[in-house]
Amino acid sequence: MGLIVKTTARATIPLIGIFGAYVVSHGHLTPGGGFQGGATIAGAGILFLIAFGFGEMKKRYDHHLYSALEGLGGLVFLGIAMLGMGVAFFYNTLWHSGPFFNGQPGTLLSAGYLPVMNLAVGLKVFAGLVSAMVAIAAYGRWRE
Amino acid sequence: MKKTFGALALLFLLGVLLVVASPSTGIKFGLGGDEWMKYRYTDQYYIDHGVEEVGGTNIVTDIVFDYRGYDTLGEATVLFTAIAGAVALLRPWRRDEDEE
Amino acid sequence: MIPFQFITAFLLIAMGIYALLYKRNLIKLVLALDIIDSGIHLLLISFGYRIEAGQIPTAPIYTGYETVKSAMVAPLPQALTLTSIVIGVCVLSLAMALTINAYRHYGSLDVNKLRRLRG
Repeated sequence: MGLIVKTTARATIPLIGIFGAYVVSHGHLTPGGGFQGGATIAGAGILFLIAFGFGEMKKRYDHHLYSALEGLGGLVFLGIAMLGMGVAFFYNTLWHSGPFFNGQPGTLLSAGYLPVMNLAVGLKVFAGLVSAMVAIAAYGRWRE
Repeated sequence: MKKTFGALALLFLLGVLLVVASPSTGIKFGLGGDEWMKYRYTDQYYIDHGVEEVGGTNIVTDIVFDYRGYDTLGEATVLFTAIAGAVALLRPWRRDEDEE
Repeated sequence: MIPFQFITAFLLIAMGIYALLYKRNLIKLVLALDIIDSGIHLLLISFGYRIEAGQIPTAPIYTGYETVKSAMVAPLPQALTLTSIVIGVCVLSLAMALTINAYRHYGSLDVNKLRRLRG
């Protein structure tokens, strides 16, 4: 792309990343959560792919790593849901009797397993959307 | 023939929707007061007891991840399957003529 | 009188169904699926509105400032709409992957020319 687009992309990609991390991690206090924040961070990745072309993206993209990240996000989501299996399937053990996320409702370290689940789902959505966009861009030019 | 059938189906659908959406013979819009407690008592339960049972002050995230977490598990599975299918469809296939 | 939120949602659904019946380009059919999804989400969210006497309806969040608990709108349709949006994205991505493969295989994007099966 042109020079204006490249300069603006260099300035705004880190800011979009920071804003997306804020939306994901404060999911239990402000509007947002896992899915919305994951889509925002994927917007930063797709802006990099559009502004700098496919050649620059091919040097830094590793499809085994993104596939492993997506699977890891799904497995963490399922593992956290099985922690309170003694009472029920999705029981909130960490809020009722756990050591960690136990503070006052309204602070950052509260609400049981909600922050951990937000991070897992955000990671999964980000990895899935970026790998789908790179697969569409690399359609006729696949080199192993 | 097919175009007139399609136009008739569209008009019928629009007529049914107009009957359903009018406030006198269908769904009520903008409840309040006594009707709210009669028709939406589950929403009132989520608003009243959401903070002390789950701990998060955002009621919508409470519902998505704790009261209805099973639906979110199904949605995560659908997302994973769709992305895997789309990436697998866009890989290079070997042609059938090359193998013969 | 019908509220204007319902009229807009029904217009969107009708436009999507019209495009699905009468157009022949494959990409226009895929976009019509997305327009129908948007109309249905607007219809779902507008079912949860709440009108109380003399109070403005607010979002269902307990912020640190003063919150009016007796005028919050219903939070359950918003949670179900989130799930539906993600499923719409999944269906759209699979449909686009199939369209790209069909164009490479047949050479044209016209639905009437895709009828002959090969082999």
